[in-house]
Amino acid sequence: MKFQEELKKCISDVMPELDVVIGWCASFDPLHATPHFMRRKEDIDKLEISPLSVHNLATYLPGLRGKKVGIVVKGCDSRSVVELLQENLIDRKDVTIFGFPCTGVVDQSKIKKALGHTGNVESCEMSDTALVIKMDDKTQTLAMAEMLADKCSSCRYPDAVISDYFAGEKIGNKGEKDVDYAAVEAFEKLSVPERFGYWLKELDRCIRCYACRNACPLCVCRDHCAAESRDPHWLSQENNVRDKLMFQVIHAYHLAGRCTECGECQRACPVDIPVLMFKQKMNQEIREIFQYEAGVDPEATPPLLSFKMEEENITEKVW
Amino acid sequence: MPVLEGTELRIVGFLCNWCSYGGADTAGVGRFKQPTDLRIIRVPCSGRIDPLFIVKAMMNGADGVLVSGCHPRDCHYSEGNFYARRRLEIIEKFLPILGYEPERFAYTWVSASEGQRWQEVVTSFTDQIHKLGPAPKILGPQASDTLSVMEAAL
Amino acid sequence: MKIGVFVCHCGSNIEATVDTAAVAAAARQFPGVAFATDTMYTCSEPGQDEIVAAIKEHNLGGVVVASCTPRMHEQTFRRTVERAGLNRYLFEMANIREHVSWIGKDREANTNKSIDLVRMATEKLTHNRPLYSKKFDINKRVLVIGGGVAGIQAALDCADGGLEVVMVEKTSTIGGKMAKLDKTFPTVDCSSCILGPRMVDVAQHPNITLYAYSEIEEINGYVGNFEIKVKKKATYVDWDLCTGCGICMEKCPSKKATDFFNEGIGKTTAINIPFPQAIPKKAKIDPAFCTKLTKGKCGVCAKVCPSGCINYEMQDEFITEKVGAIVTATGFDLFDWSVYGEYGGGRYPDVITGLQYERMLSASGPTGGHIKRPSDGKEPKNIVFIQCVGSRDKSVGRPYCTGFCCMYTAKQAILTKDHLPESQSYVFYMDIRAIGKLYDEFTRRAMEEYDTKYIRGRVSMIYPKGDKLLVRGADTLMGSQVEVDADLVVLAVGAEAAAGASKLAEKLRISYDTYGFYMEGHPKLKPVETNTAGVYLAGACQGPKDIPSSVAQGSAAAAKVLGLFSKDQLESDPQVSIVDIKRCIGCGKCIKTCPYGAIKETELRGMVKADVIETICQGCGICTSTCPQGAVQLQHFTDNQILSEVNALCQF
Repeated sequence: MKFQEELKKCISDVMPELDVVIGWCASFDPLHATPHFMRRKEDIDKLEISPLSVHNLATYLPGLRGKKVGIVVKGCDSRSVVELLQENLIDRKDVTIFGFPCTGVVDQSKIKKALGHTGNVESCEMSDTALVIKMDDKTQTLAMAEMLADKCSSCRYPDAVISDYFAGEKIGNKGEKDVDYAAVEAFEKLSVPERFGYWLKELDRCIRCYACRNACPLCVCRDHCAAESRDPHWLSQENNVRDKLMFQVIHAYHLAGRCTECGECQRACPVDIPVLMFKQKMNQEIREIFQYEAGVDPEATPPLLSFKMEEENITEKVW
Repeated sequence: MPVLEGTELRIVGFLCNWCSYGGADTAGVGRFKQPTDLRIIRVPCSGRIDPLFIVKAMMNGADGVLVSGCHPRDCHYSEGNFYARRRLEIIEKFLPILGYEPERFAYTWVSASEGQRWQEVVTSFTDQIHKLGPAPKILGPQASDTLSVMEAAL
Repeated sequence: MKIGVFVCHCGSNIEATVDTAAVAAAARQFPGVAFATDTMYTCSEPGQDEIVAAIKEHNLGGVVVASCTPRMHEQTFRRTVERAGLNRYLFEMANIREHVSWIGKDREANTNKSIDLVRMATEKLTHNRPLYSKKFDINKRVLVIGGGVAGIQAALDCADGGLEVVMVEKTSTIGGKMAKLDKTFPTVDCSSCILGPRMVDVAQHPNITLYAYSEIEEINGYVGNFEIKVKKKATYVDWDLCTGCGICMEKCPSKKATDFFNEGIGKTTAINIPFPQAIPKKAKIDPAFCTKLTKGKCGVCAKVCPSGCINYEMQDEFITEKVGAIVTATGFDLFDWSVYGEYGGGRYPDVITGLQYERMLSASGPTGGHIKRPSDGKEPKNIVFIQCVGSRDKSVGRPYCTGFCCMYTAKQAILTKDHLPESQSYVFYMDIRAIGKLYDEFTRRAMEEYDTKYIRGRVSMIYPKGDKLLVRGADTLMGSQVEVDADLVVLAVGAEAAAGASKLAEKLRISYDTYGFYMEGHPKLKPVETNTAGVYLAGACQGPKDIPSSVAQGSAAAAKVLGLFSKDQLESDPQVSIVDIKRCIGCGKCIKTCPYGAIKETELRGMVKADVIETICQGCGICTSTCPQGAVQLQHFTDNQILSEVNALCQF
């Protein structure tokens, strides 16, 4: 990546004023990256930005409140930062944001599906168009476009919407136009029992690990999540599909007007439950009823924390 | 036996104390006949109603949920029903994706003096739920507990 | 928690359609229920004693009463359990009367539903916690909104009781509708002679501050500590200087201003004092008619005013007053009768309202107390009174009886004969409603001594015939058509809520009915209270009322205020929100949505946290449903309490 060196220089210049800078570096195998906490100059050398830089690092920010933190963000990640700023959960003066032009990140589950398994990857070469993966003494080439996460193929914010330093040429954000909810709309065409049955079947796999929540940059309640609390006692701790589904609704509703659809919930799910659809549906409503999109303006008031005496887009039932 | 099998369906109402609960009382004082399905939970304000209560009720087996508060601009707490309106609208539109008909949920405004209106609301909402019949129910801890029954029914 | 359940028969009110013994038997099976019984009248003394005895005997930790609505007797039973040593919040009610026995006769379904409601109440009770009130200081001043006879009575009673009173009146004089009346029924004594001295008392009372020609802009706060923003509308006259001499009124060249006080009978000047006995007796300019203010030309009043009090640049002024209680006495207005096409819809000048007729009868009115037809100034001979115009008429959306029109029509018929001995009065009526001391006797006198012809029936049509009006109607007692050649028609127009009543109600946070009349706390037992603590009602704002009833309610409201202020501190309602500090992440969503500004940010060991100011919190619970992690919980309506109710009703 051309801008990577520029970014490293940037970080290196500002590092003395910061406690930590969060980015990505290589992980246990060539197909994975991992969040990288840079505290010393030499840590910067390990910074790697690639289509493997999937993690939304904004998740770490509230936990580091009070420290001077630098963070490298993709366009989508930056919207989570905007939300955290809006909700007073981080202080703008304490956060230094490094942006770069993101051309998309991979969806590991798609790669896994294409390769059968990803247990012994020896090397992974990436270009704009392809991933060349060496595994089990074989070299396989996968088209990058097909391996990109769904959110990337319809990305409207490739550049960080908020940044202190931006390395590379901006791609250009499309903004709030032409939002694609085809997947949600197609799902809604199914019959009532089909939809009901679908979620029971999908959620049946859930192991209640709460990785979806832990990866969510806006699940800021952390140790006090409604999922495990007894006061309020929304959910039992039993292994039952009712509570699993209820948790997803709680998550989606608590994100209403806040979710930026970064997709971390679904990416983190070890059993590939398509939990992002709940949030997409919520966002579609928020957009249609309130013409609002989260994670764009840190000064905005989200729709559920405000009201209008006369709501233009709410037609109440007539009895 | 929570509802009378065969004749009643499970309908939960969340009513604000100041207007709609009073309206339901007014309907009672006026002896306005109503169906017996509805069970009312009293809350101080429609703004107190977390939309998740509604989802919780549905997932626990309710066939319909009715919310009623003060008319807009007439909230005892001045703004509660304005917040409620946004939140309830959101959840009403969200229910279909979970596999519930949107008609299983309704919210409305009934003042303490509108006993007759309350009668109309309860009667027509109960009719609406009876027309839909019982809501899909989660029958056991595993998905298969429900799915096998659903498939058998189809 | 050991729970006791008491299922009330309410005589036969519940027992007739609910098997209360079966409900009690079912309740005995619920978890935690140690005792359950059915009782005849739970709210009666023996009924309450039974609860107290059961608490002691069975060592109960909480009580459920299944009876009427909690809006009726929750307070009663809370005091009962308190007498037995329990905290008043370890009590729940199941409403099996208004919500069950009174709305259907199916005994099986009702019994089953009652069992469900009792189960729900016991489940909630299990999650109840003892709550304790806090005390707070109160401001012992009272605001009276409206300076009609009800407001005057309330203000004087409060002021005589030693309270400081702030009275806000929207017109430029107090006196209200009563000041417009010539005489009052059934004594036929002079209205302004009995009201006048009371108006003067208001002006002179050291404890009363009067803001006339002012309106309520904003109301904040809560019982004991309201903050009121009053808008003093621009009068263009400096009232500190105005002596009420009336020279400006004599000299003002704009003599075609609408005379609101005289109900449009005649005209007045652009600068005017509404009537000679006005309180305060100060002039004001009606800007719509003043040529100086509309066109910039004139200025006569400023030239002639001996005290130099005219100020054409005057602006509205805002004043803040702090009070502890509010008496609302905004009165009524007349129904807009022009919807009645059959009465001419306002096209015939000789069809007037009863209130216009009062001004005509009044010696201080525009005709000097002479009855003259508005069209040609002639004395009328045949006068027709039509009752129930905008009362008891569903077709115009006014199904209620205004109540005082029968009486004032009888009075006006009597006065007509006194003024014009040669005249003949006819009254078209539906029913005569003369319930009140000496009222029926009075209508009898109108008929028997004053020879008023009462015709039971409605008027179907009025149309002009020469210089007269032909009034055609039915006599339903005779079963015949009636036609009267009338010189003047007086409509007994019904009352409706005062213009702007609903807007004010929204500021006061009180309820109003479909017609805009304010709702009392309870139709029988709380006739002057509202659902908002510290706000009381007096007079016709609560529903149409005659003078004695308005005065009585004014005094009743004053008694309530004096009772409230007999304590130096009030107890706060402990049903307020409380922040669980360890769960709070300081995002401030609750602060943003609280309608009262009752939640503030605090710091705890360097972390931002929310904190509820208990005396400001009104217990709406918006914060609780806003907080994602449930860190702020409205006491007595916590998530767990509501969830337990949901779970009780929906058990998969």
